[in-house]
Amino acid sequence: MARRTRITIDYSICGDGNEVDPRACGACMRACGPAVFTLHQTFGAEEKDPCDPQQWRITPLWASLCTRCNKCVKICPKEAITVE
Amino acid sequence: MCDLCAKHGDGGKWYLNAAHYADEIAEKYNLRDYLLEQYKNFEQVPVRKVNGFNPVGFDYKIRMPLIGRLLKRMAEGMLHSTRPPRNPFRAEGHIGQVVPLEDAIAILETCAAEPIIEKNCMCRYMSRGIQEACCINFGVMSDIISKLPRFIPAKDKFFLTRKEAIQRFAAFNNKGYIGTIWFGPFPYINNLCSCATPECAGIRPRLDFGIKSIYKAEYVADVRPDVCTGCGSCEDICQFGALHKTGARKTVTVDYDKCYGCGTCRHACAPGALYLRSRDEVPQIAEKY
Repeated sequence: MARRTRITIDYSICGDGNEVDPRACGACMRACGPAVFTLHQTFGAEEKDPCDPQQWRITPLWASLCTRCNKCVKICPKEAITVE
Repeated sequence: MCDLCAKHGDGGKWYLNAAHYADEIAEKYNLRDYLLEQYKNFEQVPVRKVNGFNPVGFDYKIRMPLIGRLLKRMAEGMLHSTRPPRNPFRAEGHIGQVVPLEDAIAILETCAAEPIIEKNCMCRYMSRGIQEACCINFGVMSDIISKLPRFIPAKDKFFLTRKEAIQRFAAFNNKGYIGTIWFGPFPYINNLCSCATPECAGIRPRLDFGIKSIYKAEYVADVRPDVCTGCGSCEDICQFGALHKTGARKTVTVDYDKCYGCGTCRHACAPGALYLRSRDEVPQIAEKY
């Protein structure tokens, strides 16, 4: 079987209410050709208003479609993404 | 005629059966609460565990022998479910079909329940982080979207008249977005989307992983070779890669197996060489939805 692509995002920098709000940045999502990333609300976050959640993170959901072009790694302003 | 039409069309196309749009269905299955719960955390649905399987890494698992087949059956069973919807955190009974402009106009003119709204596409928001108002919703969905700020388009009004809705849909169709109509959940129809690949979460499972998450349209594109000038502008607009220039005259031919019958290629064709014909007229793809 082909080698698996592992995309990791450092959630201590991006998402989960930390330094960067992925909804405001989202550079990796727009740069990705095959749209590997998914933006979603953080699980288990205490939200004041469930209709308008505030804590979000990005998950690399479809890693098998990654072409390893490394655009997301280069474009990330906080260097939070690694692709291996 | 596809399975959906055969089972739920009452002799016609399933999405032109106005019974599926009625508010009574939403009330019968208590879909107001169900849909509000689902859309509150809509973006979580693709990353939530289903029957103990984590969708992160699912794309690798589905390539495995046996386990892959089991997963595909599970996913299709969930999407094609016709049981009363129970779990709002899963895409139960969420099956759709590609519709060309003419059928979408028929839906908006005659079937869609008032009020009609436009909302920000949640697939584009999930996969690109952008807010583009290109989904049209009907009936009880309109009340639900009004409660969820991130889906409300940044315009002064998002409630549309039937005529405005047709104009909006036609503009997106012209741009090359694929018209799709969805059960969400079965048996209630409330979404008429203008999708793009690879962002669309409904088309992706079928194109990339072979899961029947959407049916091809009742139509297929075809070309009049004597009219085609071979300019190739339709090749760029087709999102399925179904149009190619071939032969000594370099006229366009349609790859019937790849064509989903969305009909957007017709907008790109200046001489009008492309047209839609019924899928059942073409023997090699008849009954293949």
